[in-house]
Amino acid sequence: MCRSKNKKIFLAACILLAAAVCLSLTMGSYQMTLEEIFATFFGKGNRLWEFTIYESRLPRIVLAVIVASALGISGCILQAVTRNPLAEPGVVGINAGAALMVVLWIAAGTKAYYSVLPVSSAMLMPAVAMFGSLLSLAVVCALSYKQGIGAIRFILCGIGVNAAINAVISFCQLSMSKGDFNQVLTWTNGSLWGSSWNYIVLTIPPVLVLGGVAVCRAKVLDVLALGDELASGVGLSVHRERAFFLVLATLLAACATAVAGNIAFLALLGPQLAKKLAGNQHKVILPLSAMIASILLVGADVIARTLFSPIEIPVGIVVSIVGVPYFIYLMLKGK
Amino acid sequence: MKRKVAILAAVGILVLLAGMMLSVMLGAKELSIQQVFHGIFGFEGSLDDQLVRDVRLPRMLLSVLVGGMLAIGGALMQGILRNPIAEPSVLGVTQGATLAVAVSSVSSLAGGAYGNFVMALAGAAVSGGLILLFSMHRASNQNFSRILLAGTAMSMFFLSMASVLALVGNRSQELAFWVAGGFRTSSWPAVAVLSFTGAAAMLVSVLLAGKINLLAMGDEMALAVGILPEKVKRQTIMIVVPICAVCVAVAGNIGFVGLFVPHIVRKIVGNDYRALIPLSFVFGAAVMVFADIAARMLMAPYELPVGLFCAFIGVPVFLMLVRKEKN
Amino acid sequence: MSIEVKNLCAAYNERVILSDVNLKIPKGRITMLIGQNGCGKSTLLKTMARILPAKKGDIFLEGKNMAGMTKKAIARRLAVLPQSPVVPEGILVKELVGYGRFPYQKPLSGLGREDHKIINWAMEKTGVYELRERKVEELSGGQRQRVWLALALAQKTGVLLLDEPTTYLDMAHQLEILELLKKLNQEEEVTIVVVIHELNHAAKFGDHIVGLKNGEVLFEGTPEDVICRENLRNLYEIDAVLVNQREKGYPICMDYSLIGR
Repeated sequence: MCRSKNKKIFLAACILLAAAVCLSLTMGSYQMTLEEIFATFFGKGNRLWEFTIYESRLPRIVLAVIVASALGISGCILQAVTRNPLAEPGVVGINAGAALMVVLWIAAGTKAYYSVLPVSSAMLMPAVAMFGSLLSLAVVCALSYKQGIGAIRFILCGIGVNAAINAVISFCQLSMSKGDFNQVLTWTNGSLWGSSWNYIVLTIPPVLVLGGVAVCRAKVLDVLALGDELASGVGLSVHRERAFFLVLATLLAACATAVAGNIAFLALLGPQLAKKLAGNQHKVILPLSAMIASILLVGADVIARTLFSPIEIPVGIVVSIVGVPYFIYLMLKGK
Repeated sequence: MKRKVAILAAVGILVLLAGMMLSVMLGAKELSIQQVFHGIFGFEGSLDDQLVRDVRLPRMLLSVLVGGMLAIGGALMQGILRNPIAEPSVLGVTQGATLAVAVSSVSSLAGGAYGNFVMALAGAAVSGGLILLFSMHRASNQNFSRILLAGTAMSMFFLSMASVLALVGNRSQELAFWVAGGFRTSSWPAVAVLSFTGAAAMLVSVLLAGKINLLAMGDEMALAVGILPEKVKRQTIMIVVPICAVCVAVAGNIGFVGLFVPHIVRKIVGNDYRALIPLSFVFGAAVMVFADIAARMLMAPYELPVGLFCAFIGVPVFLMLVRKEKN
Repeated sequence: MSIEVKNLCAAYNERVILSDVNLKIPKGRITMLIGQNGCGKSTLLKTMARILPAKKGDIFLEGKNMAGMTKKAIARRLAVLPQSPVVPEGILVKELVGYGRFPYQKPLSGLGREDHKIINWAMEKTGVYELRERKVEELSGGQRQRVWLALALAQKTGVLLLDEPTTYLDMAHQLEILELLKKLNQEEEVTIVVVIHELNHAAKFGDHIVGLKNGEVLFEGTPEDVICRENLRNLYEIDAVLVNQREKGYPICMDYSLIGR
């Protein structure tokens, strides 16, 4: 009974995602029609078309999907592990840790702004971000450790660490040159401007693997929802599993943050909508929240690119502007 | 108990006075006590006199007022939300005001000398109203981690909106200084606005203190003894909002003062808001005066953001408090 | 013996709750843990279920030391129902009961036919089969408690530990839950351990009663043997008026007052 409903939901999500992708391919400073796009895909396009699609738009879309999937799954895991529907990597300091490391990296490494980062530096960025977010996770866990990592304590400590790291980031930013500073700002607010196939090749494998692991072990997340005591009663090593999934969520968020900066609310909205549509089985809602987040991000990116064209606004802001009203609704609905 | 309060008040006022004196004396050019008094009482227009009257004195007064008012704001928030971790900057009220100020500085929406105040007021009203709405509308939102998460999410949203606006308006670094908080642009009109608001807020909050004490027993018990909790909460937010607004308009986004100052005072005098609020003002002011001195002196001639100092003291206190939170 | 506790010490946040407890839970019987608030009943139950780690001492489950068993292995032999478990939002009764099969599932497999049979059996036993498509959060307190019981039953264990399963229920629903436990005990030969506050419930439904005070076992034995004025005086610091019913075989507490009033 539930199966067929879920199939329909997934089908609808696929169609929506495809529609968003098509929209994103056609829209931009250079408008293309669908025929032109398909012609290009079948190798019949001219050089302008090919460049627009293969070098500019497609990598952007693919990257958006990867980033959104990573964030959607990461948020979904965090919400399950902390049993808090408002948890997301952005507010518990995971993204901030990555951001701080990248800020330090940009400040220390590069002198030329607005230009292409040297390849080595660009390649190292995900690694640096990963390191930063794991570091902040370690700090949060250490601070919230008291006979195991309590769900609420983890969230509250995360909020504190987040505030602290943001203070340090804003301090670092003060001593930067204006160019560096703007680069950092664009990055911390979440954007896809630097998308290239290099980043995609780099991020696809970890996101696929980590996401796959999460989906395979989804049942553990279901059981964690029962509360620590009962979950332990049905044979779950609660603290070990929580630590495992926290690291998983962190790594996923780090992958996303490394290439696209801080995209707020996406990791909150994707899982929220998925749960609303498909219930609470993580086997279903993990992939579904990845898809919903992807639809949102691809759509938001279209807006970010075209609204004030030729100026591009950070896509994270567009997501936020869509996300905040829903967030407020979420806080107010029901009794 | 009374004696403890009196002693604490005396100590606080002494420290504050010392800080105020030092704040006027110290700086790029160090002044003697005589020079300071000369500048205040026997103004003759010399360079030192002008320095005292037009730069040091307003700056010192602003830091006193901002520190004290932020501490009161925190104490009030903690009172109505019944949680020691509540604070305007943690819950996004301050950041709402920051966003509004950013809007006005980029778009010249509300210009003039008091434009920033008006905008900050509007911003703080929206964000403070949201927090109040969240906490009153739904029982499960009383659960503190929810409110805190919501506040953090909102404050991050406000700040990133502000920075994008600044980016588009090519004002990004100015905004960063604003976000970091400080007293570089001190003036007498600002002192006037702040002292007026501060006096009003102090008066109202001392009047409300008795009711906030009763609120600590929970909404239902408060109702049982004849207090309308919703009304007290609304009234309290209506003071917290202007407090935050004027502080942001003057000194930018300074966080955590409202968290650790009332916390430490509470440790000593207990949860009686009639003592807690005035004492928080005194100690908040003292902390801020010294933080401002440190910001000026530590890396002179560069100025460090005051907000950073407050975060450095505040975040550890915050973490200590949340570790106590039961699961 | 079903569970044997030897020299057990347990602590909560550095505060020692149990000091050197020795206890034997008889197999196939209902054991009632009674005592004042904060005497360590719940801690003992949670430590026996390995929800809380023991500071010192050993616990043997059917002769095997639990320290050497994996969490899942324990969950196949012993089910526990905490005092206030969390109801996941939007979950259906049958899904919740299905979580009881978790200790039997391999990481990737779903619920098999055998699992579904057991889940249905557990729901029928507890009388919630008709509610299986309903959301758990919409159920009444008594119904919800039976759903939790069904979850524990679905674990198919020989031992069932319950922490105050009758709190927040009215008299009739309290009886309903206890009658159900009695039935399970008789029909399925499940060993049951219950932490309970209501003295008369303990005497009526218990085969074996353990009185705990300040983290130590004060008395244990059959209701007839241990429910007496002297023991209740020591345990609760109350003066009780007891009536012994020969035909029913357990004492009833008729009236009680604080000592010295």
